[in-house]
Amino acid sequence: MTTKTLAPPSVPSGTGSRPRPSKWIWSWTWVGAFAVIALLLTVVGYLGAGVGSGHVGWADLLFESAWSPANSAYGGLAMIYGTAVVCVLALVIAVPVSWGAAVALTEYLPPRLARPLRLCVELLAAVPSIVYGLIGIMVVRPVIARIADVPGGDSLAAAGIVLAVMITPTVVAVSVDALTAVPDRVRETALSLGLTRQEMIRSAVLPLARSGMRAAVLLGLARALGEAIAVFLVVGRADGRMPTSFGEFVDSLSHPGQTLTTKLAGPEPVLAGTTGPYFAALCGLGLILLALVAAATIWGTRGRTRGATTKSAPRYRGSARMRLQRDRMVRTLRLGALLLPTALLVGMLALLVTRGSSAFNPSFWFTSATGAAGGGVRDQITGTVLLIAATGILALPLGFGAGVFIGVHASARTARVLQTLTIILGGVPTILLGLAGFVILSTTMGWGRSWLAGAIVLVPVVVPVIALTTAARVRSIPAELTESAMSLGLTRAQFIRSVVVPYTWPATITGLLLGLARAAGETAPLLFTATVFFGAPALPDGIVEAPVQALPTHIFTLSQDSGDPQAVTQAWGSAMVLVLITAVLLSAAVALRNRFEGERWTT
Amino acid sequence: MFTKNHRRACLAATALAALTLAGCADGGGSDALQVSGSTTVAPVAADAAQDLKAKGLDITVATQGGSAGGISQLASGQINIAMSSKPLGKEDKAASPGTKFHSTQIGADAVGVIVTKRVADAGVKNLTAEQVRGLFEGKITNWSEVGGPNLKVFVYDKEPGRGTREVLDKYLYGDGKAPAPPKSGNFAVVGGNLETRNKLESTPGAVAPLSTSFVEGRKGLAAVNLDGIEPSPKNIASGKYPMARPLFFITDGEPDGASKKFIDYTLTAKGQALMTKHGYLTLKEIGK
Repeated sequence: MTTKTLAPPSVPSGTGSRPRPSKWIWSWTWVGAFAVIALLLTVVGYLGAGVGSGHVGWADLLFESAWSPANSAYGGLAMIYGTAVVCVLALVIAVPVSWGAAVALTEYLPPRLARPLRLCVELLAAVPSIVYGLIGIMVVRPVIARIADVPGGDSLAAAGIVLAVMITPTVVAVSVDALTAVPDRVRETALSLGLTRQEMIRSAVLPLARSGMRAAVLLGLARALGEAIAVFLVVGRADGRMPTSFGEFVDSLSHPGQTLTTKLAGPEPVLAGTTGPYFAALCGLGLILLALVAAATIWGTRGRTRGATTKSAPRYRGSARMRLQRDRMVRTLRLGALLLPTALLVGMLALLVTRGSSAFNPSFWFTSATGAAGGGVRDQITGTVLLIAATGILALPLGFGAGVFIGVHASARTARVLQTLTIILGGVPTILLGLAGFVILSTTMGWGRSWLAGAIVLVPVVVPVIALTTAARVRSIPAELTESAMSLGLTRAQFIRSVVVPYTWPATITGLLLGLARAAGETAPLLFTATVFFGAPALPDGIVEAPVQALPTHIFTLSQDSGDPQAVTQAWGSAMVLVLITAVLLSAAVALRNRFEGERWTT
Repeated sequence: MFTKNHRRACLAATALAALTLAGCADGGGSDALQVSGSTTVAPVAADAAQDLKAKGLDITVATQGGSAGGISQLASGQINIAMSSKPLGKEDKAASPGTKFHSTQIGADAVGVIVTKRVADAGVKNLTAEQVRGLFEGKITNWSEVGGPNLKVFVYDKEPGRGTREVLDKYLYGDGKAPAPPKSGNFAVVGGNLETRNKLESTPGAVAPLSTSFVEGRKGLAAVNLDGIEPSPKNIASGKYPMARPLFFITDGEPDGASKKFIDYTLTAKGQALMTKHGYLTLKEIGK
């Protein structure tokens, strides 16, 4: 893919050439940082314009729970409540499991086992969210129905669990990245001092990996806040339910609710048009959602300054009692945490393989569709690959630049502000990206339905993931690397080019893959800007009025309304194809990464 | 609710479409016949387009904005044929007075009030409009109130903008406004037909509006009679059954050229077979 251009493979080995001045580094990182700001401004500007187009009763929007556009009642409190409950629940479940699993993967399992497992986890992050939603319907709802003794099981709790399952792979993958960046000599030193494995991890490894593991949680949170389709299928989408007492609060968990994202991803933004109080209220909800992401991020990163002080003077003192027992118990817990993602992977694959068996027929891949649900999906595959590739090419330099900027160049405060902005960008619900892209690219610029518009709309999905993983990795550069580089008289630009970039790029690739995997499964923004259901040529011939067909939108349309059983088969087959394509992409890039990672810096 | 929502939807979609048109005026465009609108009709249109491909017709089918979106895109001249799962309203015509809408009905879809087998077997075979209203407004909370088992009612309503929901609202409230959804914990909103069926089957005591073709051959579900009238093709054809919706292709003026070829094809025996394939009623079945 596009990785070669940004990854100078050779590092001066000491004889001869010094790195070139590399002044272009500055413009590159600045462009990256500004891209994040510009993209965010565009979205906020779009929402702001929407809010300005009609009168918004902010007091109602924030403190009233009744939502009924037909009666001009626009209260968002119940949705804010739903969003908060669902996300907190998801984090409470996902974070301990993911961190445990990440530690188990890097510190306990032999590499022979850990590498394929790690690849599998990244693969899980690539499963289109509609599949997670279907699993929620089939597995999570009945469990909730049984436990809480409610009919159906559509509930906030079900949504929280589905989200937890969805963000676990993201959190694990990014945490594993942070942990593998910790040099092995740290572990060796700790072990040679006679620490048990658990003590070694706690006192030596985790302090170094902390910033990366926090970034992982923030990424997970951003995904949880921005995710729509999967939540959509299990949350029940009932408006206006707001508990007033603790008993009702507990009760509300097992009953249908509504979140900000599911409201925005539903049919209402399309029905509301582009002006008027209805649209303004929806835009107001969008701004509230962004404000929530911002608040969560600021709250989440606030602890870092405190963390930094403890790093220099570790508080931790192991007690001498029952060290071995404790070590064994912690190991069991952590390995146990691995079971969940593994079970998930096996279950998901079994489901996809049995339902989507048509994907194993080569002709399904290489013939184009006949009619609504016949034939193969060749054109959808080329369309998806085109969209992913274009998005990747656009997003990689921007995200990498922004990440390096956040990690290296900026002052602590600028870095924090930029990081917050990046995470907010990652939390923008994709339906809003689609609508903004529709108004700006398809309409104002006159592109109509265009594959390029689709790729551009997906860029804000990918850039934050790349930027955050990159920045976290930059922060974990060992001090002595920086010191040696500086003492050799490198300028900052040369330092970035010859030390930071080569050190960081494995993490950047992980970010790119996770981001693209998420982008590959996106449906909502493409429906408006880039895709048609039937009749587009396999490859577009131009930019203006050049639609493509894509797998996610194909799956979406097929799973909506057709009574033809073949439509369902084709939808599952297409989902399987999407997962397989992502799997191939991932394996290639991961193989590449594994070869470089570790061999140079971590010995 | 019906009218207001409806009008908003149309105005909105028109605004969107008008914007698009303004931007695209000089954007060129391909020679293909462009069909867009309802997700309900899209599979049928795509299959028909496939059959006609062999005869050299180039057709693209998209589903942005549903029925209302299709109609407004047609009005603004972006597409050639709008797919619609609802009849043209006065609002549509008022929103674009310059367009001579011409609807061709290609089939129909009967919407049923669907309950689980357990409820139906225990005696709920027929419901009056009053009872259905009570169920969907959250006033009837136990099936025993309408002659069924002692089981809590769980209502799945369709999300706003869905044709199915508009049909139900029209049946229950006529041209009046539907009230806000009930604040009961046993109320949830669903989207597509497959999702609705899936959730009906997995929820004891559930009730939802759903296309009757999606219930045929499912062991766990049954469609109830409304005011004593069974949702049979005969009753739909005669107009006795109150909840049916026609499916349309809409053109600007009489269809001609490629549009005519396309629409004519869907009216032939081969084209009508596609309606059956995707679970809808053919014109013959409804006696037209």
